[in-house]
Amino acid sequence: MDTMKAKDDLATTAGMAWCPGCGNFGILDAFKAAVRLLEERGVPRERLVMAAGIGQHGKIFDYTALSGFYSLHGRAIATAQGIKLANPDLAVITFVGDGDTMGEGIEHLIFAAKRNSDITVVVHDNGVYALTTGQRAPTSARGYRGPSTPHGNVEDPLNPLVLALEAGATFVARGYSARKKELADLMVEGVLHKGFSFIDVLQPCVTFNNTYATYERLAEPLGGEPRTFEEALTLARRQDRLPLGVFYRGDKPSHEESLLAGLNPVAAHPSRDERAARVAGLIAGSVKQP
Amino acid sequence: MSRDVFTFLVGGKAGEGVKKAGSTAAGHLALMGRHVFQMDDYQSLIKGGHNFSVVSSSVRAVTSHYMRADLVVALDALSYDLHHEHLADGGVVVYNSDQVSDGPGVGLPMTSEAAKYPSAELRVGVAGAAALAAALGLDRGAMQTLIAREYARDVENNIAYAGAIYDAAVPALGGRFRLEGGGAVMPIVSGNEAIGLGAAAAGLDAYFAYPMTPSSSLLHFLAAHDRDLGIAVVHAESEIAVANMAIGAAFAGARSMVGTSGGGFALMVEALSLAGMTEAPILCLLGQRSGPSTGVPTYTEQGDLGFALNPGHGEFPTIVASPGSVEEAFRLSAELLALVWCCQAVGILLSEKHLTESSMTVRLDPTQAAWAEPVGHPGGAYARYAETPDGVSPLAFPPSREVIKWNSYEHDAAGITTEHAGDIARMHDKRLRKTETIRRAVERLTAVNQYGDKGPVIFTYGSTTMSVLEAIHAGGIEATVVQPVYLRPFPDWALYEHRGSSPVVVEQSAGGQFARLLAEKGDIRAKTVIRRYDGRPFDPDELAAEIKSALK
Repeated sequence: MDTMKAKDDLATTAGMAWCPGCGNFGILDAFKAAVRLLEERGVPRERLVMAAGIGQHGKIFDYTALSGFYSLHGRAIATAQGIKLANPDLAVITFVGDGDTMGEGIEHLIFAAKRNSDITVVVHDNGVYALTTGQRAPTSARGYRGPSTPHGNVEDPLNPLVLALEAGATFVARGYSARKKELADLMVEGVLHKGFSFIDVLQPCVTFNNTYATYERLAEPLGGEPRTFEEALTLARRQDRLPLGVFYRGDKPSHEESLLAGLNPVAAHPSRDERAARVAGLIAGSVKQP
Repeated sequence: MSRDVFTFLVGGKAGEGVKKAGSTAAGHLALMGRHVFQMDDYQSLIKGGHNFSVVSSSVRAVTSHYMRADLVVALDALSYDLHHEHLADGGVVVYNSDQVSDGPGVGLPMTSEAAKYPSAELRVGVAGAAALAAALGLDRGAMQTLIAREYARDVENNIAYAGAIYDAAVPALGGRFRLEGGGAVMPIVSGNEAIGLGAAAAGLDAYFAYPMTPSSSLLHFLAAHDRDLGIAVVHAESEIAVANMAIGAAFAGARSMVGTSGGGFALMVEALSLAGMTEAPILCLLGQRSGPSTGVPTYTEQGDLGFALNPGHGEFPTIVASPGSVEEAFRLSAELLALVWCCQAVGILLSEKHLTESSMTVRLDPTQAAWAEPVGHPGGAYARYAETPDGVSPLAFPPSREVIKWNSYEHDAAGITTEHAGDIARMHDKRLRKTETIRRAVERLTAVNQYGDKGPVIFTYGSTTMSVLEAIHAGGIEATVVQPVYLRPFPDWALYEHRGSSPVVVEQSAGGQFARLLAEKGDIRAKTVIRRYDGRPFDPDELAAEIKSALK
């Protein structure tokens, strides 16, 4: 992949604070490759905006020289939708943690999928709260032992793909941080897809939840894309294998298209006189006519 | 009519068209060239219960409803029981003779006449308008014009029903109240409408909200007019989403606003702190209702002042202001949107159900409204959080060749996360400098209103200002009314002469939060705090008596 070897003009001054071998490196590399591929596909980086939640995943914000918003824990998807609604010409990609978006911020994930907001969400799915020292996450297996569950996790994990599919996402995919080229391609496709794109990324946490061996054994490219929503759902529910690739593509109007009906609020910002005239019209409308 | 105000009160069950009857009266009186004030008292239910609408009107500006009405129309028995004794001198009560068998007043067959038409229950409110038309001495043609204008759906049946009620009413009521008019016909605007219009006049691009009384009507108003104005109006999944979306929209350059009430505001405060840290310009309407908790959703209170003054964790500049009239709500909404953009701060427009959902005749001039403008990036290398003397860093918006990073973590000038001791202190200093910048900006505005300059001083604020001004008029009280419009920054520069004074304070909170603020920030220690906290706005006559007693 030549684009990955180019001079890294997406680097920043921030010091690296991920553990050596962390799956986040693969996601960062894949994203930088995706930014360059997107430029070839007609999305200049000026138009690409990133958002991130809070957790180990969020550091990708500091490590990428791209405009964006480092949001609150769980709220990045809400922030991203606000950006997209204000200026639908921007491409918005949002990095979230599994705990970040399926714990504290799950309402935003479900509603963004439900309304088919035209943003891309990349889940750094490591099955653990790594930044806060290894507590169980919404995606942790039953029995997982962490500092908050010393006797083992007594809850079953959420299935991110099934959640996204059922909530109405129109692009649903799974990637693996160790397969950077494929992951970069998924990010490109997600950003280019019109509607809500959801990419769950299997991401080993070398310190608290090292899943490399499991993923090397179970993760494999999809033989072919499922042809129907039901097939996608069935495949997403499989526990014995972890297929990688695009599970589902749907075609329906995006939230911004439907709600704004062509308006770009920022681009259409009126002059003071234009707006005053429109407001005066509404005031005149509240005068009773005989 | 014993004074210069005519008051019409109509009461009935939810679903009977009580509010519509009130707004019909208000519209007619405004068309006569009179000033009106309409207060709707309704419960948190859709059917049944007891609702009433009070419209007070005069040839002078009137800033409150009066609970003692000249004409009471009781659409049901409960309304008769609750209101028939609350008559002004010379007042008359009209009741539904199908539900109330006898008693003082004029009985009209409202239910049995309505039963002749479809949707009988929904039509009963028309009787209120018909009775008013008779009492004001409208001839039959004028009455029909009124009904046709206000009740256009199924208009023929409405006119027929109104005609029957009118005919029954004329012998006892006809021309009982001959009102003068002749002034200019003014628009009737609610507080929430004025807030929406003001923000729009200042350049609003996007409004985000989750329904919550008494701010929902702002969401409804802006949603109904989103295409007229060219703005985005978004009903999101929660107040948390609302506030975070609005901040994201501000990052993209949209003049954004949110609206809620106490419980929703509680959900927003995490994001308001985020706005403080990222220096996102954001305006929030906090329309107060009776609390704490779910409280009494459709009633009024000023119990959230302390919360509004301290809206989130950490230290960040915040602007809080509260309008004392519908006209001021329009001006202040625009002014706050402009202020939050010039200072990149959180702005809270603090109001109450009594203002947001009451309507009055107003004069609004959108060409005089403030206009929100970002502090633009002049060119050269860009850093989102660049150091400046006033603490306000220039803004650039994507798409841009510059890298624009807004960060909820403490950050360096470029917006990259930092834990460096020097950076942390420098960024705190930079944000706190904006407190002084905001203060200087507010010093140039009308931060305090003073009404009158004789007699003892009464301090009040927010919608209670309207009640106090009307009470003073009603009671013939000579007093000076002082209303701080801005509450943070506290306008001590404009209240200097009151330091050490002991005025009467009037507010709608149980704990006297406003009086406490005056003492803490202004060294103004109330000798008496007149408080009302039963969810109901003050009645001018009752409040006049309380003020007189406090001034003794």
